[in-house]
Amino acid sequence: MFEEPYRWMEAVSTRHNYVQEKLKMGQPVLAVPYNEGLLIFGFAPQPGKIYEIYDRIALGGVGHPADVEKLRMNLLDMAHLEGFNRSAQDVTSTRLLQFGIAPALKQNFEEIQRAPYIIRLLLVELTEQGKPNFFRMNYDGHWETFKNGTAIAGDEKVMDWLQREIQKQPFDSYSLDQALQKAAKLWDESRKIKSNDSEDEKNNELPETLKEAFDQWYLEGAVLTEKSMSKAIYRSLSEDEINRLKSSTG
Amino acid sequence: MKFQSEPNTSAGEFFELLEKSGYRWHAKIEGTEKENSFTVPQGTTVLAFHFQDGVIVAGDRRATAGNSIMYEMCDKVIPIDNYTLMAIAGVPATAFEMARVLSHNFEYYRRSQLQSMSVEGKIRALSKLLKENVGMAVQGLGVVSPIFATYDPTKKKSNIHFYDMLGADFQIRTHTATGSGSQIIRGILEHEDLWGEKPLAERTSEQAKTLAIRLLQTAALFDSATGQARPEDDIYPTLATLTEEGYRFLGDDETAEIYKSSMKRG
Repeated sequence: MFEEPYRWMEAVSTRHNYVQEKLKMGQPVLAVPYNEGLLIFGFAPQPGKIYEIYDRIALGGVGHPADVEKLRMNLLDMAHLEGFNRSAQDVTSTRLLQFGIAPALKQNFEEIQRAPYIIRLLLVELTEQGKPNFFRMNYDGHWETFKNGTAIAGDEKVMDWLQREIQKQPFDSYSLDQALQKAAKLWDESRKIKSNDSEDEKNNELPETLKEAFDQWYLEGAVLTEKSMSKAIYRSLSEDEINRLKSSTG
Repeated sequence: MKFQSEPNTSAGEFFELLEKSGYRWHAKIEGTEKENSFTVPQGTTVLAFHFQDGVIVAGDRRATAGNSIMYEMCDKVIPIDNYTLMAIAGVPATAFEMARVLSHNFEYYRRSQLQSMSVEGKIRALSKLLKENVGMAVQGLGVVSPIFATYDPTKKKSNIHFYDMLGADFQIRTHTATGSGSQIIRGILEHEDLWGEKPLAERTSEQAKTLAIRLLQTAALFDSATGQARPEDDIYPTLATLTEEGYRFLGDDETAEIYKSSMKRG
């Protein structure tokens, strides 16, 4: 069936459409720098978007929970084996992506007999030198690097809009509270853009405001911070930090 | 780095993952004719006792090989995770390897299962490693006698355990010590706990640190394999506390101050 190149290309193209359609409802995850490290954050109806991978590396995911989980476990296995066999300093997000999951994801996507991963991933790292690195990875293994923050979302328009807006903000000069407030505002605005673009897909069950999102959904957030006394510098946002954000958004 | 495509069934067990990747604990050596060749670990003093805020764990810095002093800056108190410390006596290669496996095991479990391993689980993990090591230990190649200290932040309770060579663990309510200098100070610890100014568990952090330094200094006076502090070279014993905030190692300057004041009477 796929012996002719055209048919193979057509099948791959169909897979793109299939995955993009499946991803469409995925809620954004934003990752931005702030003056003591980096913040990764998002709202979702079910928890399971943000995870710790290694001492200085965190993951954000959009897509099918089982696929996100599968890739999360692969990243965890790779990171911990590398950290054990060599050193924690040898575990970097670049190596995990470039030599780890990216080639495997691409191969999986182009082997059209196999089910594709329905995911978009965000991998962030605060280096030993205190420099934040942001990576975005697509379901087909394509990945991009960003210096000043990035975002993933199910809808590509929303994702691109968030990417542009994040670059406009001096996040690296913000305190954590300021960065959280600004990121939450962008998250909120990005949802309005989506609903304007696709009126027919408006879902009344989705929260319309940030306040509704706080009430109905889970806010997941974490930081990688230089202020940590521990070897593992990942920590989830505290209740106080979330409450301060909640009260600031009215 | 290898991408695994099969489902993960290890439920957060890092040692199993290591074995899948080809790692093997030291192979047993067959056919040795040397009988009863294992010896109780010699050449160190490490101790732990409960104090007001948690546990203090301390150790000297000397590493020996027979009668030779090989190294004076050995770290025998090792952080395993934020709430766990291990103090080691015995063969360093095996002890450090155990610490490394445990450290990755606990962190891998916490990250993969999205919850910390229970204190009982952590204690059991070290038991399993010691049991795996029996073959090496009875041949005299890898005897390890660790002290394992953990703090359970949910129960706000600290724990000290020591182990025998086969992996049996024993919970300590007051104090313990291991290594060649341990016999010298165990009596002092018991005396201090029973008839000292107040029981060890009621002492402040400062009092606990002072006592720990004095105990190690005493052990070094009688045991040649336990290293004394050498202020002229900025070498001091390792002191670490384990409290609600997690572990904390004292910096060199802080230890130097405590050492200075501890060496005075009173």
